[in-house]
Amino acid sequence: MANRRVLVKRRKASRNIRKITRTMQLIATARFQAAYSAAVAGRPYTDKLAQLVGNLARAASGIDHPLMHQPESEKRAAVLILTSNRGLCGGYNSNVLRKATEHLDELAGRGVGCETHMIGKKGIGFFGFLGREMDSTDAEIGETVRFEKVEPLANQLIERFTAGEIDAVYVAYTKFISTARQAPVVEKLLPLEYEAASAGETGTAAQYEFSPDPQSLLSEILPATVRVRLFQSFTDAAVSEQVARMVAMKAATDAAEDMIKRLTQQYNRARQTQITMELLDIVGGANALA
Amino acid sequence: MADAKSFYVSVVTPEKAVFEGDARFVAVPAHDGELGFMRNRAAILAKLDVGRLRIDTEAGEETFFVDGGFVEMIDNQLTILTEDARRAEELDREGAEVLLAEARAMKDRGEGTTAQRERTFKRARTQLRMLR
Repeated sequence: MANRRVLVKRRKASRNIRKITRTMQLIATARFQAAYSAAVAGRPYTDKLAQLVGNLARAASGIDHPLMHQPESEKRAAVLILTSNRGLCGGYNSNVLRKATEHLDELAGRGVGCETHMIGKKGIGFFGFLGREMDSTDAEIGETVRFEKVEPLANQLIERFTAGEIDAVYVAYTKFISTARQAPVVEKLLPLEYEAASAGETGTAAQYEFSPDPQSLLSEILPATVRVRLFQSFTDAAVSEQVARMVAMKAATDAAEDMIKRLTQQYNRARQTQITMELLDIVGGANALA
Repeated sequence: MADAKSFYVSVVTPEKAVFEGDARFVAVPAHDGELGFMRNRAAILAKLDVGRLRIDTEAGEETFFVDGGFVEMIDNQLTILTEDARRAEELDREGAEVLLAEARAMKDRGEGTTAQRERTFKRARTQLRMLR
């Protein structure tokens, strides 16, 4: 029967798909591990830097730095959106983009002029499709994020912020909370918000020798904080992307498996029906002869 | 291992920890000249310049190129925070020469601030000097 052949064909197709998605899942797993260890490797630096800022702030009795100046009113803001270069990662890109668009609309609603800096081919494609404006695009920073690539971008933002060209910088990316949880977030990169709580315990009132004086050290350390924060957003996004792809490909493989099972069942049933029908034919013929 | 004269040193960048281990003496390129560290040095926090970092361990001497950053010493724990640190053996001449050419090009085009250009020059020259 023709029906049977169709079923065989579809089953074969599903098997091929399963093979591909499983491979992609395995690749994503390997990439995730690499991205994860890269993200973790940067933690000591970030933690130490935050601790130093805390120590310095105490020594300098308060911080006063251009990067922390809250402008009286936000007039122009830069929004960085981190998306991936490749697809097939479930809702990863659409989640960040939705969050980012909401934020952009909210800023525009408050009368803040926005400039959008899009990172990643997927986001560029999406905004292009919507006909939204992008002030800069970058599809170069790939899955393996190098600090030296992020640094110029951060420096440029710092410069423009200090010059007063922009009043705020936001970063929209997917934060990696755990392997089971990643959340699209919009974080404020500039002006820096100093959290006394995260700056280390108050107990370590170490008597430091400072060279040069705390205030000028601080003015060196804060830009470094901004740079590393931005870098961390990139590494977080890279890790989240791989997790999203892992999950998406796992789901696809499972779905293909279900499909194969169902098709096999249908195929067997069709075969059995055909045999039964043929038997009935034979029996009917024999009866007619008798 | 740790003995009466050694202290713990770690060199970290945003990307990875470049060095972690015990040392007996460390010379860092501070912003106002080279700074030497031995066990029980008083707590200090200093800014670094582009330069050569030397770590004397029991196994021998190790040298690194560091691109600015900070050094902190407290309770016999020395931490060097820098945005780029590379072992002297990992430096390559070509890369350094490209950097030098870039610095020259920046100067010719009048790009960036003087401080930025100086820094790029220093980066290239330090690397080349260390390769010699």
